Amino acid sequence: MKILSLSGFVPEHICDTVRFTGYSGDTAISHYCQYVADYISQVLYDNSIDGAVFPKSCDSTRIIKSYLGETRKFIFQIPVPARIDQYSTDFFANRIKEYKQALESYFGIQITDIEKRIEALNNRNKEIKLLYDNLENISYCDYLQGIHKMLVSPLFEQRVPIVKKTTSNGKRVHLAGSFLTSEEILDVLEKSGLKIVSDNLPESGRLANRKPCEIDGDIYKNISKNMLSTRLSPTQNNFNEIIERDIREIKDKEVEGVIFITQKYCEAYDYLYSVYEKKLNSEGIKSIKISQTNSEGSKKFELALEAFADMI
Amino acid sequence: MVESAIKLQSTLMREYYKYFSRYARGAKPDKKVAWVTAFTPVEILETLGMYYYYPESYAAVIAASNKEQPFLEKSEQCSLCRDCCSYSCCLEGCLELQEGPRGIPPKPDILIATNNQCNTLPNWWNILAQRFDVPLIVIDYPGESADKQQAYKYVTEQHKDLIFRLENLTGNKFDINLLEKNIQNSTESVYWWNKVAQALTKKEIKPTAIFDYISYLITQRCNSGTIELYQALYEEMKELPDADKSLIPIFWLGYPLWYHPKRYLSEFLDGFRICGSNYITWWNLDYSGSNAFEKLFSAYNYTFLNLSQKNRTERLTKQIKDSEAVCAVTLHNKSCKCDFVSAKDINIPQAELEIDMIDRNFLSLEKTKKQIDLLKETVCTH
Repeated sequence: MKILSLSGFVPEHICDTVRFTGYSGDTAISHYCQYVADYISQVLYDNSIDGAVFPKSCDSTRIIKSYLGETRKFIFQIPVPARIDQYSTDFFANRIKEYKQALESYFGIQITDIEKRIEALNNRNKEIKLLYDNLENISYCDYLQGIHKMLVSPLFEQRVPIVKKTTSNGKRVHLAGSFLTSEEILDVLEKSGLKIVSDNLPESGRLANRKPCEIDGDIYKNISKNMLSTRLSPTQNNFNEIIERDIREIKDKEVEGVIFITQKYCEAYDYLYSVYEKKLNSEGIKSIKISQTNSEGSKKFELALEAFADMI
Repeated sequence: MVESAIKLQSTLMREYYKYFSRYARGAKPDKKVAWVTAFTPVEILETLGMYYYYPESYAAVIAASNKEQPFLEKSEQCSLCRDCCSYSCCLEGCLELQEGPRGIPPKPDILIATNNQCNTLPNWWNILAQRFDVPLIVIDYPGESADKQQAYKYVTEQHKDLIFRLENLTGNKFDINLLEKNIQNSTESVYWWNKVAQALTKKEIKPTAIFDYISYLITQRCNSGTIELYQALYEEMKELPDADKSLIPIFWLGYPLWYHPKRYLSEFLDGFRICGSNYITWWNLDYSGSNAFEKLFSAYNYTFLNLSQKNRTERLTKQIKDSEAVCAVTLHNKSCKCDFVSAKDINIPQAELEIDMIDRNFLSLEKTKKQIDLLKETVCTH
């Protein structure tokens, strides 16, 4: 089975999914995140895809099901709690359990290797952390491309990328935002003389900083706790913690500027940026916001990034 | 009877706005203040003796006062992307500039947001939390994405937690009997509102009135004055002439246009009669259950925008059928993608308009006229 997953809120602990990275589709919806629209396209029109699993965490993901209603593929939406406490952890644990049961029922399978998968995930994330902590000595572009390639593979075949050391010195920047769909931007960044030394992307900084998931006890509660306590997404509604956490890292790593990358019509990040930028300003840190219009690459940000590099 | 309704309206308005800066003259509210989203279980706040204000509603007032543009510009200058919900952009501009048609709402002691209409509002409330540096409570309503028993447990835990936190904030003791009474008031407001709203289908009434009257159900639903107002309006509407059946009955599918003097595109709808609208039914909350917590769960977990597409389609189809509409104006509202998907499976001729309920500059008048003319032609040739 080949299930296309969207977002870091889909528990890899349960079964293999293919992480959505981009697709050139025809689905276009007014004022709607094109990244999600491209996801809908792939689920609907890519015959190699057997199903879809995605969260209910923002306005675009909230209504994905409305657009997938007619497909006969496996469709599962995971409601991600909009708050973080014991109640939401328990609630999310039950949703994860339901997800497993829905998979078993639809595909006629038995999922019996969750503990083994948790161990593999803990090890993988530990290896990502080693790379992440060494970002200033490697090519960020190679690192992130390697991560993206890894995330579309089955868990037990995933190999953390081997990234060559580099001696290039650029102006030290922090990358903030949602899943980075346009890898070309990374090339532009490096060519503009910018050196990414930290990030809070769901596929990088957030995975690298995820604590190991416990195996003993209620496995679903463990997974829930593990996922919800990871470095936060703005959809979890604690902007304060995101900003404070990022500022700490930015200061520790002596960052000179922040590049905030969002998808157009991704309101959660748009709202976050409006206060994130103010906080950075008050700390004397410059930032630039780059808004991607779809999940395909674009080089239109070249000039803006070059100017930003000059400014910092 | 007309005078009575007007008097009741003005009492409710005076009560709601008394601590807005333009009228308060420096007086501080004598109770704790919450800023809430439109589907917050305010019966709990009322029970604990709090004032609560609706920033979304005030953004609508700003647009209706023809003042939204400088506020939208200001919020954009302050890095809030113009793609975000215009309610938030408009209000953020108002707070930045410290001006508004009725002044500024009193500073909140606490912020309460819910996700039973969209996921955007809790994000906006995060910005407000940064601005005012006060606690933020988000109530997570899973809607139909979890089975009823588990959803009830989860939502009720949160409602009880809300009570606990508000008791601490206000120093007031929670009284379950008073909560039951407030829920009963809301139930009656909904009952009488429903009767008022039905006049749109049967009587010769301007939609403007209905779009404006609903504000009391949104902002003061557990106030007994709201029940009285709707009873008075219902009596008044019974006397109105029947709807003109020679006009084409059309359904207004989406928000009222708050910036528009009539709240709808009256200039393009000659020959049409608006006979129904989904917006005016959104606050017809169903407080069914055998105790207060079941009633709150039923009302706030299953709001229209928190239903599955299938149930939304069913409900909307019934509303359209009951209204006898033969076509619809469907608003692709830039500020509410959760709403415009509601009309996805509606099978009557529609003019689908790109629009925003606050930002008047968003609409292309020329294109709209063509779309509505085409709709008229389609309906008339069938």
